[in-house]
Amino acid sequence: MLAIITTNLLRRSARTIFTACGIALGVATIVALLSFTQGLKNTAAGFVHLGGSDLGVFQANVSDPTASVLPEAMVGHLAARPEVARATPLLLLVEGVRADPSAIVFGAEPDGFFTQRLVFVQGGPGEVLVGERLAARAHLRAGGPIVIEGRTFRIAGIYHSGILFEDSGAVIPLATAQALTARAGEVTDVVVQLAPGARAGASAASIERAFPGTQVITDPQQALRAGANSTLISKAILVIVVIALIVGAISVANTMAMSIIERQAELGLLSTVGWTPLRVASLIFGEGVAVSVLGAALGLLVGVIGAGLLVQALGVSAYVSPSVTAWALGRGLLVGVAIGVLGGIYPAWRVTRMTPLRALSSR
Amino acid sequence: MNAPAGAEVIVDGVSKSFGRISALREVSLRVAPREAVVITGRSGSGKSTLLAMIGGLEQPDAGEVLIDRRPIWRSGQPALARREVVGFVFQRHLLLGALSARANVEVPLIGARVHRRERRERALALLDEVGLADRAEHLPSELSGGESQRVAVARALANEPRLLLADEPTGALDSVTSERVLDLLFRLRDRLGMTLLVVSYDRSVGVRADRTITLVDGTLEGAEAALFQR
Repeated sequence: MLAIITTNLLRRSARTIFTACGIALGVATIVALLSFTQGLKNTAAGFVHLGGSDLGVFQANVSDPTASVLPEAMVGHLAARPEVARATPLLLLVEGVRADPSAIVFGAEPDGFFTQRLVFVQGGPGEVLVGERLAARAHLRAGGPIVIEGRTFRIAGIYHSGILFEDSGAVIPLATAQALTARAGEVTDVVVQLAPGARAGASAASIERAFPGTQVITDPQQALRAGANSTLISKAILVIVVIALIVGAISVANTMAMSIIERQAELGLLSTVGWTPLRVASLIFGEGVAVSVLGAALGLLVGVIGAGLLVQALGVSAYVSPSVTAWALGRGLLVGVAIGVLGGIYPAWRVTRMTPLRALSSR
Repeated sequence: MNAPAGAEVIVDGVSKSFGRISALREVSLRVAPREAVVITGRSGSGKSTLLAMIGGLEQPDAGEVLIDRRPIWRSGQPALARREVVGFVFQRHLLLGALSARANVEVPLIGARVHRRERRERALALLDEVGLADRAEHLPSELSGGESQRVAVARALANEPRLLLADEPTGALDSVTSERVLDLLFRLRDRLGMTLLVVSYDRSVGVRADRTITLVDGTLEGAEAALFQR
């Protein structure tokens, strides 16, 4: 049976390849988006724990965590709470570095724990500090110039923090950041280190109650959910999965239906020599599944490559690395096989309705 | 190959219409085990339809076909009869173009879930039987018309049928090749002992058979009909 399925698929090799490519495209899109989302999640993990914090306080219901706006005045109230050991405000500037627009500039208090924990690999503390990854990418060095929000600064030091976002960005004093963006009294978020013994979940709930309109993020998954963009991506993946299933299944069904019409005499012959309708249907069904598995395998390969291209196309390769997990590949494969199963059902059913003599006389 | 016993065929009052055209009208017939019968008649007389009903390919509107006293249509398992009892040879060889001669002979055995090694051995033995052992791995496109029809005969014998049905098996062949294929069919019947029913518009084929029956406008011609009625 397998030999006949293989022979039949090879006999119409161009059609098999085109159908498999259609399925591959759907599977590749799913794998690429899942890998991208996983990469975002990994990035969000770094975003949540900026400055080695336990949690971050953001404005609720914003399209993206970087779009959050909080009053700087709340930092003092927050720091006074019993579950909080230390709190420091951050003002995030996106696309502020001319040499590398993907870098984030952190406006932070020079004496806050965010800035104090930086380890210098070149130069030392000062007004403008540059992460080592950004320095490497943009060929920056201590003592050299850097343009932020159109103004030229001198780099005091190059640091390493161990957090991707920070090492891919720069740090300037909070007051400077507020002046550059004309946002005096405003911050993006407040990062918090909890007091010994305080639990993240309970503390987050307590802070959200005390400061209505805020959202406290304690884990990467929560960060992804908090950002409307990430939520949109998750929903988009679901829509693409459904579309891939429908389009792929129709494509396979169409290919197999055409194949049945062309091969009526052959299928009639199989019935004539004693193949049961179920067995003939299994042959057609098997061909549908085989072409889908072929497409899915191709799609997995293209998806892995496509994930890398996607982050480059979106200009976020500096801080999002696509993460291809076995689960993402498994889901892609599952969709591919489901396409074959769904697309093979109708043609297989049609075969069971054929009478051998009519089929034989069709050639 | 083992010689299978021939099957007894009883056609009992079978009728079939295609729209307004009546192809067969209450045809009754008995073919004894190991008998070789030629069914002849003009084009459109219903001989191929009769053969298709005996072989479980076309369901009669009325009446029944019994093979070894078992009704094949009432049991609802014509596919079982095709797989276990009947072998077919058609006017066109209907070989699968992408498969070798050997693989084509194996096709019925795949349907019967015969193990791969046994399939291969049986197919090669059958190709040897029809004189094509040296052509086993050739594709149908590499075979002559006569050779292709001999592969089709080998395929029909793959399931060791007790009833071999041939519908105009020489209709697409030249006269010399036709003689060879007919020689092969009747020689196999003699050697293997199956019942043989051959449909042919050519009455001369009947000289090789035990009996010739003639269909005229969907009914059996005189003597044969009267014989069965008795």
